Amino acid sequence: MAFGKTADSRRRQGLVLLLSPVTLLLGVFFLIPLGIMIVYSFLEPGLYGGVEWNWYPYNYGRIIGWPLNDYETFEPIYLSIFLGSVKIALLTVLVSLLICYPAAFWVSRMSEPRKSFVLFLITLPFFANLLVRIYAWLLLLRPSGFINMALESLGLIAQPLDMLFSSFAVIVGMVYIFTPFMFLPIYANVEKLDFSLVRASQDLGAPPVQTFLRVILPLTVPGIAGGSIIVFIPALGNFIVPAFLGGSKVQMTGNLIERSFLQSRDWPFGAALSLLIMGSVVIIVMFQVIRSTRQNRGAA
Amino acid sequence: MGFLQIASAHKAYQTPEGALVRALDDISIDVRNNEFLTLLGPSGCGKTTLLKIIAGFEDLDGGDIILEGRSLKEVPAHRRPFNTVFQNYALFPHMTISQNIGYGLDVAGVKKPDRDRRVGEALEMVGLVGYGSRRPAQLSGGQQQRVALARSLILKPRVLLLDEPLSALDRKMREAMQIELKNLQDSVGITFIFVTHDQEEALAMSDRIAVISNGRLQQLGSPTEVYDAPDNEFVANFVGTSNLFTGRIIDVDTGQGLVTMETGNGRRLCAGSRAYGLGDEVKLILRPEHLRLVDGDTPDGPCLIEGSVKDVIFVGSVVHLHVDVGFGRTAIVYHHHDRTGFRNDIEHGAHVRLAYAPDSAHLIANGRG
Amino acid sequence: MRKFLPSFKLLSGLLNVYGLVFLTFLYMPLGLIVLYSFNANPINMAVWTGFTFDWYATIFGGAAVETTFDAAFTESPERIFEVVKNSFLVAFTAASIATIVGTATAIAIARYNFITKRFYQALLLLPMLIPDIVLGISLLIFFVGIGFELGLMTIIVGHVTFLSSYVFVVVSARLAGMDTTLEQASADLGAGPVTTFRRVTLPQIMPGVVGGFLLAFIISLDDVVITYFIAGVGSQTLPLFILAMMRRGIRPQITALAVLILLFSFVVATVGLLLRNRKP
Repeated sequence: MAFGKTADSRRRQGLVLLLSPVTLLLGVFFLIPLGIMIVYSFLEPGLYGGVEWNWYPYNYGRIIGWPLNDYETFEPIYLSIFLGSVKIALLTVLVSLLICYPAAFWVSRMSEPRKSFVLFLITLPFFANLLVRIYAWLLLLRPSGFINMALESLGLIAQPLDMLFSSFAVIVGMVYIFTPFMFLPIYANVEKLDFSLVRASQDLGAPPVQTFLRVILPLTVPGIAGGSIIVFIPALGNFIVPAFLGGSKVQMTGNLIERSFLQSRDWPFGAALSLLIMGSVVIIVMFQVIRSTRQNRGAA
Repeated sequence: MGFLQIASAHKAYQTPEGALVRALDDISIDVRNNEFLTLLGPSGCGKTTLLKIIAGFEDLDGGDIILEGRSLKEVPAHRRPFNTVFQNYALFPHMTISQNIGYGLDVAGVKKPDRDRRVGEALEMVGLVGYGSRRPAQLSGGQQQRVALARSLILKPRVLLLDEPLSALDRKMREAMQIELKNLQDSVGITFIFVTHDQEEALAMSDRIAVISNGRLQQLGSPTEVYDAPDNEFVANFVGTSNLFTGRIIDVDTGQGLVTMETGNGRRLCAGSRAYGLGDEVKLILRPEHLRLVDGDTPDGPCLIEGSVKDVIFVGSVVHLHVDVGFGRTAIVYHHHDRTGFRNDIEHGAHVRLAYAPDSAHLIANGRG
Repeated sequence: MRKFLPSFKLLSGLLNVYGLVFLTFLYMPLGLIVLYSFNANPINMAVWTGFTFDWYATIFGGAAVETTFDAAFTESPERIFEVVKNSFLVAFTAASIATIVGTATAIAIARYNFITKRFYQALLLLPMLIPDIVLGISLLIFFVGIGFELGLMTIIVGHVTFLSSYVFVVVSARLAGMDTTLEQASADLGAGPVTTFRRVTLPQIMPGVVGGFLLAFIISLDDVVITYFIAGVGSQTLPLFILAMMRRGIRPQITALAVLILLFSFVVATVGLLLRNRKP
């Protein structure tokens, strides 16, 4: 080992040794690729795939309205697909919130070891393969699937319901996949909730609805915000779920990106679409950071 | 040349808020071979920082640590011939007691038969024969403490560093361990540097005490020196309880070695001293146990204080009296409680006369802190 | 207070009922494919015609495919074995490297103070936060740009980038619960940094390291999106293989394969979660 060095300089050496792998890894295979992607989104697409090294802001123009008209036209379809993706992602957030919120209270009121076991059960599906989980919903939702068969045999419907290949199917699939993401932050929040405040509120004469709206809900906002964000982000960029459960009827931005990379080979356009998603993610994360620091300052 | 020299040690920290804290401000101590030295001070005074620097866990900003003439500045912790007993003992939870004690020998490459023999001896030394295969979590606090001691002493360090090792024990256990530690130090003949904030512990165990406050060395001396002749007001108050009076010397009797001091309020107090002359600004320190209750026949004079009792606190062996001695001052008196003796019936409001021997009053120069 | 007691009781009962519905929602789809995988009906899995192991047998090469119609949709055991081998090779290599990188980083963050600490903490969160598709295509552009041939190698590198973050989080949690004076005690007793790491730090954080490795392993094994973009023509992993099968249509063989994957994931994840939760 290093001789003739002080404790500080030896420690410095250790730190450099420990940090170099991650610096190299994330620098070369994460930050540089992201940088190149940003550059690509401003380059002209080559005629047969690839790029021309010319300044070309019209990849964005095609999406939001200032195209280079002699080459490509503004197609409102891209913007509407993006907005549609935002809508589907928001609905996914809303539905998983409504599903997970009461469940968090249900688990938080349990006693050990039952609580740990139920938490384990809720976390476990996260580790099931994404495709397996989508496949399960294909089997449930398709016209000859479990749900239609069940409803028909009960005599509730005469014709199979057309549930697959719809926004409904995409949202159901995504809610199912992201449930652990929404549940865990809310649960962590509810678990810390001081239930004596609820009793205090009731004691002060507030009816249950008032107690919920004015005590419980405000105190669980951090968990709701955290869960919503980590569901919204992967939902917005998703392409596997709409590819299988949305079919050709429901297109999300992720499907556009996939196609521009693997089919039409217009990489700069795909990069621009990805940056649109990245931009939304950055805005949301910054909003959350500001919100939580303000809250922390208020508490301090 | 001393054994272990701490030579004008400096260390400063940046707090998270950006303020600079001087943890060590020019501390110099010559540690003697085979002595029991205690670093005593309130929490945050820098004593633990000094211990960590001696051990090699932290660097000095300035100054040096010198062992028998050799600077340790560039010697890493694992190459210093010092061992530490940590405040929480820091026993390795994944190893048995024997493995814990044998760790240092194992790391040093001592072969198993030899190691086993020495671990056995160490277990015997701390009275834990038969506990070798247990895990630290299965032992009581006092037993863990012994394991930590054995683990350090088995390496025969030049210096054993102890970081408040008794603070986690209950009072009875702590007192027993104080005696045990002191006897152990005598028998192994190793220099102990012991950190504590407990002044009674320091007085009971040490050969010498270094009183530290705000990163500065306040006084270095034997327990009696520190207690009977504190160098300054901080030491007087931190080590034991003191009644302090500030004033100026107005009369000197060189023949008897007696001076008289007058406070700003005109109160006159005597003290035995040859170090101060007429007109010197001084502080007079009186320990509570040196004030005696005397009866009305005792003549008035500068070695007598009068007042009325404000509080009577019975603590068992003695009675603590808080006596209002006028001008808003309260004197603390430890009155020995014996069932047949004089004035066991002191009550709130009682008028008392307090006498003391002039030599029991200690003078320090005013303005030295 | 008393006035609200009945409604509270009612609420509590409703919550329990709801909880069962919630767990049913999570597990019924998975339970259904397990059931279907044993259904002999080759045309519609939702109609039960009898119990069979045939679909599993086709995976391991134990049953002949009866109709030519099915043959077109059934993959050979050799082909399945090859993609499974690819997947395990990628997952094992990527998780191993990620475990080393993630653990080293976690130790650096937990045990040192340095100016760029916050930057590193934020940087490590990013790969978990940004959508998979963005990570996938940025790596695709990068690898093609520098002329790196797409294949198992690129998949491994791509996986290591985001798996390191997962290992980092798990090991960090473990390190936070560890007493730092143990390392000082080891140095104090004469052990150098390497010995201290091997004999004190590592045994203490081992459950976290193994847990982190297993989680990384299972996430790598299951990854679809990132692999989809950076896999070469001859380097199919099991999820990509399933993806291709699903695009051709729903067949009983997929169901059986899905159940096997599900089973394996659950076993590995259970061990990983148990290790992660074990108290220091």
